[in-house]
Amino acid sequence: MSAANGKANDYDAVIIGGGHNGLAAAAYLAKAGRKVVVLERRHVLGGAAVSEEIYPGFTYSVCSYVVSLLRPWIIRDLNLTKHGLHLIPLECSFLPLPDGRSLARWPDANRTRDEISQFSVADAEMYGVFGMHVGKLARFAKNVIDKPAPDPTSFDPAQLSQLLNMGKQLRGLSDDLLALQYKLMTMSAVDFLDEWFESDVLKGPMSVSGIIGTMLGVRSPGTAYVLLHHYMGEIDGSSRAWGLSKGGTGQVSMAIARSAEAFGAEIRTEAPVAKILMKKGQACGVVLENGDEIKAKVVVSGCEPRLTFLKLLGEEHLDDDFTASLKRYKLRGSSGKVNLAVDRLPNFTSRPGDGPWLRGDIAIAPGIDYLERAYDEAKYGDFSSRPYLNVVIPSLMDPSVAPPGKHVISCFVQYAPYHIKEGPEFWPQRREAFGDAVVDTLAEYCPGLKESILHRQVLTPWDLEQEFGLTEGNIFHGELTPDQLLFQRPVSGWARYKTPVKGLWLCGSGAHPGGGIMGGPGGLAAKEMLKRGVI
Amino acid sequence: MAADCIVLGASHNGLAAAATLAAGGRRVVVIEPRDVVGGLCAGEEFHPGYRTTGLLHDSETLLTDLVGPLDLPARGLGLREPPRLLVPRLEASGVVLSNSGGDLAKVSPADAHAWGRRRKFLDKVRPFLRKQLLAPTPAIDSGAALGPLARRAVGLRRLGRKDMMELLRIAPTCVDDWLGEWFESPLVRAALAAPALTGTWMGPRSPGSTAALLVREALSGREAAGGPAALVAALERTCLSYRVKIRTGEAGARIRVEGGRARGVELASGEYISANVIFSAHDPKTTLLKLVPPGTLPLKIEETVGQIRTRGLTAKVHLALDGPLEFTCRPGERFERIRVGEHPLDLERAFDNAKYRRLPAEHPPMDIRVPTVSDPSLAPDGGHVVSILLHGIPYHLDAGWSDETRASLGEKTLASLERYCPKLRDQLVGMEVLTPADIEARYGVDSGQVYHAEHALDQLWIARPTFGMADHASPIEGLYLSGAGSHPSGGVTCGPGVLAARRVLEA
Repeated sequence: MSAANGKANDYDAVIIGGGHNGLAAAAYLAKAGRKVVVLERRHVLGGAAVSEEIYPGFTYSVCSYVVSLLRPWIIRDLNLTKHGLHLIPLECSFLPLPDGRSLARWPDANRTRDEISQFSVADAEMYGVFGMHVGKLARFAKNVIDKPAPDPTSFDPAQLSQLLNMGKQLRGLSDDLLALQYKLMTMSAVDFLDEWFESDVLKGPMSVSGIIGTMLGVRSPGTAYVLLHHYMGEIDGSSRAWGLSKGGTGQVSMAIARSAEAFGAEIRTEAPVAKILMKKGQACGVVLENGDEIKAKVVVSGCEPRLTFLKLLGEEHLDDDFTASLKRYKLRGSSGKVNLAVDRLPNFTSRPGDGPWLRGDIAIAPGIDYLERAYDEAKYGDFSSRPYLNVVIPSLMDPSVAPPGKHVISCFVQYAPYHIKEGPEFWPQRREAFGDAVVDTLAEYCPGLKESILHRQVLTPWDLEQEFGLTEGNIFHGELTPDQLLFQRPVSGWARYKTPVKGLWLCGSGAHPGGGIMGGPGGLAAKEMLKRGVI
Repeated sequence: MAADCIVLGASHNGLAAAATLAAGGRRVVVIEPRDVVGGLCAGEEFHPGYRTTGLLHDSETLLTDLVGPLDLPARGLGLREPPRLLVPRLEASGVVLSNSGGDLAKVSPADAHAWGRRRKFLDKVRPFLRKQLLAPTPAIDSGAALGPLARRAVGLRRLGRKDMMELLRIAPTCVDDWLGEWFESPLVRAALAAPALTGTWMGPRSPGSTAALLVREALSGREAAGGPAALVAALERTCLSYRVKIRTGEAGARIRVEGGRARGVELASGEYISANVIFSAHDPKTTLLKLVPPGTLPLKIEETVGQIRTRGLTAKVHLALDGPLEFTCRPGERFERIRVGEHPLDLERAFDNAKYRRLPAEHPPMDIRVPTVSDPSLAPDGGHVVSILLHGIPYHLDAGWSDETRASLGEKTLASLERYCPKLRDQLVGMEVLTPADIEARYGVDSGQVYHAEHALDQLWIARPTFGMADHASPIEGLYLSGAGSHPSGGVTCGPGVLAARRVLEA
């Protein structure tokens, strides 16, 4: 606690932000015996992975709502299961269509093939082959996200050997897979899927995984690789399954928090950080909004990079190049969230009543042109009048989140561009119109929905910024596009959690491997700090 | 009849390949389906007395280093700096751009400064990019082939950490974002973004369009005086001086494949010409799916070739005027190059229409050349030729291409230009509109794709036109790809032709 030179530090590390990544970093550091404090601005932990009872009796997973890429090594290392983590796999991907037809994709390959063959027999056959190919690449990609990103310009032997290893793995790929990997990294989701499938009905819901959280359309090059994520999900070892967290996504954060505390970390809520303290060109702690100072050997920020450096630290501590890189770092949020409390299950025209198809994710994505139109509206500064929706009814699988017989409907909505043409500060005036567009869209597929709504929570990108500190409302702390991934996340050459400011480290989604309830940035940042012996 | 080499297609790439081969001592026959040579670079009379300088009208990407050994200047080819570029505005005087920045400072001093800084950056990375583009590229047919590429990556490191990182960062971004990092004036951004889009299926908001722009910038230098048509004329003269036989009007020629090897070419007349090596300057889809006998290629390769993206997005309008093009914003001045489109989003909207397979809504952006400003002989006395490239016109139109849709496209083009040049309709004596479907029909390029294969990150460099064929060798022994669809680039470069020919000469 106190250094040999007599300089008193309250902590080894102070972590800004009690999101799931900040908590994961805290847990790893505490586990290694370091003295750690986590400072969360809000009254609840979890950041964007948070559950709250916004309407009495109903628990919303307010922002983030599905879990898939939570790293298995984190679950293991931090004993998360013991600390209450309980993941429930989603059973189905359901696509209702406006013409009354529908497509459901199941974990059971035969059942999925039958469903797809309603639309295209060729696609039904191809679907499994596609999964096999992309699955192989997903296994390769997993290696990449579980290690710090190597820098191709570095002459550090450790990084070079890491690159060499990746190269060796690539060399081991056959020509087909190599070409596929290259295409995946460069093509648009639609162009990529066009090479495999003919039916728009199938390509629509498949392509959308490429656009989540970006201000891009399904036809924008560079969106294909996110298709991999869909094949990287791993819950209880079963590849590809996406799941819900029992009690809401906040329970993932809570489990990590409990683990961190069990290892001895201190966690404070309602402790908003105002500034990062600097001394002799080195970060040495933080000052809270109430004026309290907390000293530490290192400051670790789970906040988005631009917020961390330009607001909490200040340009005066940075060189011009780094500042310029942060300013052009692409955040531009593109999505919103609508949470509904309803007094009955939605009844889909295309598959009426209750059934297993409701126990998964439901996509409103009827065709490529529909999705592209939704994007085009956003491109010119409007929210989509008919957006892409990803709907989940968690109360069906986890009755603890709603009173008996009643339900929670979670709608992820894209596009809701942060930069609307009136200016982002006008979002509050447009919030309800946006909510209406979402409900109207969904109601076209399940009449009676409007009458069943007891409560509606609408989160625009402006709200995500104001309430959760997600700059420009970007849910991933920065777009997951090739120019902002790997060794370029968040800034070229500063992807290994270390920053140009001595004593200041990053551990949030703005660092490699990026956003989603992965825990990767938090876990890897802590490991890197320990390995480098900074604390 | 027998020859050492047959070149299919007398486009600039076909002729460049033929000339290079003949200069290397090979007996060469060139087979051209049309009655004229030049392909998309052929100068054509579109109205009595009015001639174009080619469907593609820019030639600043000509790779002078590669055609250097052909000594084209001795055959009458003049090279010059591309003329200044007018970017007109409706409400103001617009801006004139040249290499030094033109009168940009009047529009925005900050942009004038950025212009210089951006040029400096481009000058720094150009040698590296050119080296990649002018060198032959390996075909990646297995992971082991990555070795040579890894060695080149070391070259990338030599570029310097900062510039290398910057190239890697910007290449996958969209050109509107990248130009937005430099320039505040939308007018300038739109003008500079436009050349990135030709030959792509992209708008300025499409990620990866910066890579297309970098390719274009890296290749750009001096252009052929007299345009692509003059280049073709010089190439033709060179070929003839080396005794290359150029046979035009030979539509329907087919490649004969025996024992897995290309042996010769059968003409529609029944005549057969045998050769050791055959080059095709036609696009890769046409070459491998139409010119070789069905069933020659393994199914899997046929599929891969079928997947090469060739969605045409270019239309061409030629206007014959009886007087000079007069811009309201620059009275009395004559311009040879003009780009119409005041905002990058105007270009983006044009692309949007293409996505939904419809005609442009109104006022399409235009890339214009008025070749008669420097060469009045292309038109009758006092007359002018206006050559207009339109980007964002889909080959696949929901309404279908017909006389009506073609006329509608022409009308929209006139209406768009008329806003800047109000005298236009009074001066108009003739007009030709070529839709992507017309371009396909006349020039035989698949889907009217003027670069033969879309420029996109996954169809450039080691992946052009597709993995495994980037070294110009087709999957059929003895058949080489030497058209715009091959490395290094579409457009008027002569690169694919020369590189393919050299590959065989050096083997």
